[in-house]
Amino acid sequence: MSGFAYLVKFSYRNLFRVPRRTLIMILSLSLGCGFIIWDLNFANSGSKEMMKEFLSQYAGNYHITHPDFYDDHNKKEFNLYKTMSDAELEEKDLIQLSTKRVNAPVFISGEKKTLGVLLTGLDVVKEKKISTLYKAISEGRFLAEAGDKEIILGKKFAKRINVKVGEQVATVGQAIDGSIANDLFTVVGVLDFGGGDLEESLAFTQLQSAQELLAMPLEKYHQRVSFDMDSEIPLSLKNHEISKWTELLPEIGVSVRFIDNFTWIVSIIIVVVVSLGLSNTLMITFFEREQEFTSLNIIGAQTSWITASLMVEVFVMGTIAVFIGALLGFAATTYFNYYPINIEIFTGGKPIIMGGITIAPLVRIYSVPQYYWQVPLMIYFFLILTMIYPLIRVIRRSKNAV
Amino acid sequence: MQFELSHVDKVYESSEEIKVYGAKNVNIKIPEAEFMALVGPSGSGKTTILNLIAGLILPTAGSLKHGGEDITSMSLEERTKHRLDYMGFVFQDYQLLPILTAAENIEFPLQLKGFSKKEIKERVEWALTQVGLEKLGNRFPSQLSGGQQQRVSIARAIAGRPQLILADEPTANLDSKTAQEIIELFLKLNKEFKLTFIFSTHDQRLIDQVRTVLYVKDGQISESRVHNV
Ligand SMILES: Nc1ncnc2c1ncn2[C@@H]1O[C@H](COP(=O)(O)OP(=O)(O)O)[C@@H](O)[C@H]1O
Ligand SMILES: [Mg+2]
Repeated sequence: MSGFAYLVKFSYRNLFRVPRRTLIMILSLSLGCGFIIWDLNFANSGSKEMMKEFLSQYAGNYHITHPDFYDDHNKKEFNLYKTMSDAELEEKDLIQLSTKRVNAPVFISGEKKTLGVLLTGLDVVKEKKISTLYKAISEGRFLAEAGDKEIILGKKFAKRINVKVGEQVATVGQAIDGSIANDLFTVVGVLDFGGGDLEESLAFTQLQSAQELLAMPLEKYHQRVSFDMDSEIPLSLKNHEISKWTELLPEIGVSVRFIDNFTWIVSIIIVVVVSLGLSNTLMITFFEREQEFTSLNIIGAQTSWITASLMVEVFVMGTIAVFIGALLGFAATTYFNYYPINIEIFTGGKPIIMGGITIAPLVRIYSVPQYYWQVPLMIYFFLILTMIYPLIRVIRRSKNAV
Repeated sequence: MQFELSHVDKVYESSEEIKVYGAKNVNIKIPEAEFMALVGPSGSGKTTILNLIAGLILPTAGSLKHGGEDITSMSLEERTKHRLDYMGFVFQDYQLLPILTAAENIEFPLQLKGFSKKEIKERVEWALTQVGLEKLGNRFPSQLSGGQQQRVSIARAIAGRPQLILADEPTANLDSKTAQEIIELFLKLNKEFKLTFIFSTHDQRLIDQVRTVLYVKDGQISESRVHNV
């Protein structure tokens, strides 16, 4: 047996010298580890669910636009004149779930009032396949495939300018050749986003109608909106302007990041608390054996050997614990994959509405592979911190022993 | 290679004013195959002298040598290695590891020395046989009597065939009959295998069988006697 193998064997034996104490240490570490993995998976699945919900309604995962479409200094300002065509977007095949859109700020006049809104022209067939915008119609209907000069308004907006389904509105904007663009549109539907800002600032029409209004050639459009959440942005698109949803919907980006970071912080706090308890137990365990360390040293075990054996002991314990912990975390995650958690239990049964969108309350938890090594790594890191003080004491004592 | 202490002083300084001589001008030579006992009342300095020989403590003055090697110039870890290589220890309270069986306790220093698996097995069996415990190798210390535990401790000390076996009051925890048996075991090992022993005791009845007896008083060797046994 090599020296190291014997060291491990020796440490393993020592580990179970007071079995109950060791089992409690392993239990607390593995429960902590399992809970953290589960919790991170939960937070990740929850925010993914939320993102999916948001992005599928209208925003999409990312927008591809002409490099100069958005103003460098203010991402919210955009340049109506900068258009692109499929030919300019070489890698269009790499974007699986995407649709073309045309955007323009316009004024819409109802019976009483004229207000500004962002008019989006969209490909009705494609849009219905990949976004859930059409589901938000609360009155009237969605844009007709073969229709022309139809418009859908947000519920609040329609109320403010006082128009109803079936009525006509006048639209005034600026065409891309700089001329004044104006046309009449028929309101065919009203959108209900649950009362958020979106209801006040958006209007939709057929792609072709928007292109006509803006005097754009038919093969030109402003952006391609991708709804593909799971694939990365194709690298070859880097000479286009790509806006991730985190920029397009900064509030949602911030809250998702908040949930993720907060969960990590809670995880670290759990590990610190468990480590403090562990450090104390290790201290007791090592103290009880001080006389033994002295006799081991007398019969020829160097201080470095004794220290190493204690470290291995703690690592063997940690390894058993994170292994069980990972299994527990995986089991709990899998359980809640089959039986999704209803997050309305956290709100007393009230629906969760964010940014004007109602979040689906059932969260199906999926495992995120990287947590299964990140969390054990974090636990190992804290185990090392936990060991330092008890070990220093052992080393110091051994120098002054006899 | 003999162990040699010459003009060794060991001063314990508990504080600035209080200084205690644990050893004072001690001169001891331990030739090979010696069988030597340190005898004296409690507090006379027996443990101090044994600890000095073992390199567990360093002398305040004087020299401490093994063969040509100066033990005082070694580092802490080097002295530990030196003990592993050349010495075996028997303790008053046995100091067996409770988590290891008798055989595994004997194995421990052999593993540290890096012996092969086969050699370890042979040496453990040999040592168990020498102390008369060949059948009890699989027992844990808690399953053995005091005398049996001390035999395991002796087996652990001799298994590496060290040049010197040190024992600090090896019989103090044992009844007189068992104590007598332990000393007889020492004598047998000394005769059969030329193992060198130095041990401390304050039991006068045991010392008739010992070749060299050093009487210790106030840290000094007050008298030495050599019996022809
Ligand atoms: N670590 C120490 N610090 C201070 N004094 C000590 C220490 N160890 C031993 N002494 C003193 O040295 C003297 C010899 O002690 P020791 O060698 O243990 O004697 P013995 O083993 O014969 O009982 C005693 O007076 C004891 O109090
Ligand atoms: Mg003593």
